[in-house]
Amino acid sequence: MVIETRPPHESDLETIDINVNVGPQHPATHGVFRMVLTVDGELVVDLDPVIGYMHRGNEKLPENCDYRQVIGYHDRTDYLAQFNTEHCYVEAVEKLAGIKPPERAEYIRVILAEINRIASHLMFFGAFGTDIGLFGTSFMYAFRDRETIQDLFEEVTGERMMYNYFRPGGVAWDLPDNFRQRCMQVLDSVERGVEQLDGLMMENEVVLARCRGLSPVTPEDAINWGLSGPMLRATGLAHDIRRAEPYSIYDRFQFDIPTGKRGDVYDKLVVRLEEMHQSARIVRQALETMPEGPIMAEGLKRVLRVPAGEVYMRVESPRGEYGVYLVSQGSDKPWRHKVRGASFSNLSALRAMAVGNFVSDVIIILGSIDIVLCEVDR
Amino acid sequence: MSLVLISHNPWLESLARLAIIALLVPVTVIILTWVERKVIGRLQMRLGPMRVGPYGTLQGVADTIKLLTKEDVRPQTADRWVFELAPFVIVVPVFMAVVAIPFTADLFIKNLTLGLFYFVAVSGLSIVGFVMAGWGSDNKYALLGGVRAAAQLISYEIPLVMAILAVAMLSQSLNLAVIVGAQEDTPNIAYQSLAFIIFAIAGLAELYRQPFDIPVAESEVVGGPFVEYSGIRWSMFQLGEFVNLVLISILGSLIFLGGWQWPWSVFDASVPVAAQVAMMAVKTGTFIFFFMWMRASLPRLRIDQMMSFCWQLLLPFAFLQIIINGLVLVYDWPNEILIPLSGAAAAGAVYLTYRAARATGVRYQPGYQTVGSVL
Amino acid sequence: MTYEEVIFYVIAVPTVVGAIGVVTARNVVHSALFLILSLLSVAGIFILLSAEFLAIVQVLIYGGAVTILVLFAMMLTRVRDLPAALDGPQRPFAALAAGAFMAVSIFSMVSTDWPGETDKINVISIEQIGNDLFTTWAVPFEVASLVLMVALLGAIVLARGEEGE
Repeated sequence: MVIETRPPHESDLETIDINVNVGPQHPATHGVFRMVLTVDGELVVDLDPVIGYMHRGNEKLPENCDYRQVIGYHDRTDYLAQFNTEHCYVEAVEKLAGIKPPERAEYIRVILAEINRIASHLMFFGAFGTDIGLFGTSFMYAFRDRETIQDLFEEVTGERMMYNYFRPGGVAWDLPDNFRQRCMQVLDSVERGVEQLDGLMMENEVVLARCRGLSPVTPEDAINWGLSGPMLRATGLAHDIRRAEPYSIYDRFQFDIPTGKRGDVYDKLVVRLEEMHQSARIVRQALETMPEGPIMAEGLKRVLRVPAGEVYMRVESPRGEYGVYLVSQGSDKPWRHKVRGASFSNLSALRAMAVGNFVSDVIIILGSIDIVLCEVDR
Repeated sequence: MSLVLISHNPWLESLARLAIIALLVPVTVIILTWVERKVIGRLQMRLGPMRVGPYGTLQGVADTIKLLTKEDVRPQTADRWVFELAPFVIVVPVFMAVVAIPFTADLFIKNLTLGLFYFVAVSGLSIVGFVMAGWGSDNKYALLGGVRAAAQLISYEIPLVMAILAVAMLSQSLNLAVIVGAQEDTPNIAYQSLAFIIFAIAGLAELYRQPFDIPVAESEVVGGPFVEYSGIRWSMFQLGEFVNLVLISILGSLIFLGGWQWPWSVFDASVPVAAQVAMMAVKTGTFIFFFMWMRASLPRLRIDQMMSFCWQLLLPFAFLQIIINGLVLVYDWPNEILIPLSGAAAAGAVYLTYRAARATGVRYQPGYQTVGSVL
Repeated sequence: MTYEEVIFYVIAVPTVVGAIGVVTARNVVHSALFLILSLLSVAGIFILLSAEFLAIVQVLIYGGAVTILVLFAMMLTRVRDLPAALDGPQRPFAALAAGAFMAVSIFSMVSTDWPGETDKINVISIEQIGNDLFTTWAVPFEVASLVLMVALLGAIVLARGEEGE
């Protein structure tokens, strides 16, 4: 893919393109991301993304850990969708080791992962509002509801951020007694909050004027750039791993895959907003049909040894395709552990999407990718 | 009669009046910072400041003390004098503008015949301060912000002045006291609704508040021209911004809402001073609340949208208002005819804005796919 | 010295300092800022002469708008070659032209019969200015607007030519 950049032009009025270094410490880069913008006045003629400030060896470190210890590292890759990433890893280990988790554990996982998707998208709307210049109002709206979700997660796992709750073969412990009722409560209030967020942002004239038609992505480009998740679906492709390659028990639930039409920034908002409702729909179905029973597979050893082999497991995380590649040589530690971060692939299309736009639009294009820098740099 | 000062020496009296401004204005600003945080807090379902004093009322004082005791940092590569003088260049014109503003019929510093014109001229000077701060900081964010500020403030000054001019045409005076006096029966907002809308929007842009906070956009240029400032110099920018907020609000209530006049002649001939002050406070407060409300609920426009909105929509409509006024004045039509004319034009302007915002298409329902992947 | 004289000198000093600064400053932006200082002080002198309207116009047009545009252009264009441009072979001619202009100014100042008495000065009201401008001097006023219009259009054409290529 060749990106057209403007050559330095010759004219009577001699103007200079200046380099503006946005980040690594900048309010709009969602962490320690840095992009060097070459601007001609307000127009961005080139963009150079610089990543790696958050690299912690999150793929190598687990190779020295017991299979169950690795779960914590997945909480820390995508720290806004911890259950989704944990889900991916434990499914990968189960696939490799041939463990069948009990029904109830599968339901718990799906419920928590879907609520986590809502929480992650709420975070997106809050941060995106700030990017586009809303003075913290969307943040407050989004965080009010995210807070109730975090309270629910705290009741289940005892943690508010690094849950470390899923285990190969099941989940760590059972849900609290009144979980079903509490969960319904949370869902109701969150869906009301999502409606308010919808009213605050989606019909707002300024949001429409800013986001409609901004940096449209064609489906072909989206595939070539390796986009996934809402970024891909906004272009009109209904690709969702929960449907395309159903893992866990997703084939039992009714849900729709919202898609956009043009792949512009506004479509990405619409898709994410609708996904929250669809996730709530899945959770309600799962709560209806969740069986009682054990939450951990029988007969697992204290030290988990996984037979030699390799596996690639992918799930639909809120940001797109989150994948784990594991190679085992039969020991109690993974021999190779590789993570495919959705943010990383989506971010790599930034330059192509951003060049030629205004500085302020580049900020919201970056915001619309919904990156988590810990997942990009790992 | 003016501010009741018992001094026959004009120099002493002038000094005393200026001292009153210098004392009163910062206090107002300290209160307003608390009000703004409280109002925006409530709009965002927060409580706002609650810790310092009852309901956080002393928050402004605490902030001031913090700002005054902070280190005043200057980047080594900054252009020393330009950098250090910029805050003054912003604050001094703002304070100069306060001089010409009558607060009630009897409370003013100086009643100028050309008061309105003076106000416009002086408040335009602050732009130099933004450019100085932006250029002198030797920071690219500041430079971008300074250029944005200059472009925006100069552009929006034109519709603002045009809207003010429309009122001056109707009142046949540039003296603010006379303009208020002329609104005894009907405030100008009825006759000049188009000019009022233009004034409110252009005022919002002159105050660089959302959706026009492009020069100081936090998520883009990180505070724009102010990015390198700290401590007292930064607080001077803040002071200038808030005094400007008050000034624009007072000006709006003077020339459009009838100033200290009570509606429906509640008090017959003479309105008591306390009632005048109360009326002014209510009208000014309405404006200030409007500006704060916008801040909490609107995102930021892009710079080209901001510019084309000004030049393609506000300015032609400002001219339209002036032409309408001119027709009414030349042909001696009754003023009442302005109500439907200006109202219709205002409705047209609002409709065009609405359409422009949705020109790129309205919201649609996302497509739903229940089948599997297409990949 | 009377109060008026004291105030006159208080205003005159920045006017002259600003004017000297414009030509001696090595940095164009500083020059522009000095220009603003000088022009604003001139507005002060206008006030001293009871020409309030003129003073306000001076502040509005020169203090605010014009110099900002000058600053704007300077900030965004390359200033690298400027020291050379300040110091060229045309220096003597420039000095000659400036000297001649100054001589003419001084001569006209000295030879004009200024109203020295306070009661001879008649303060021109804004109504009078308006009436004169739009009746007696309407044609020159319109011509001036036309010239400005042409300049504006020219600027737009020049600026857009770059994009249109």
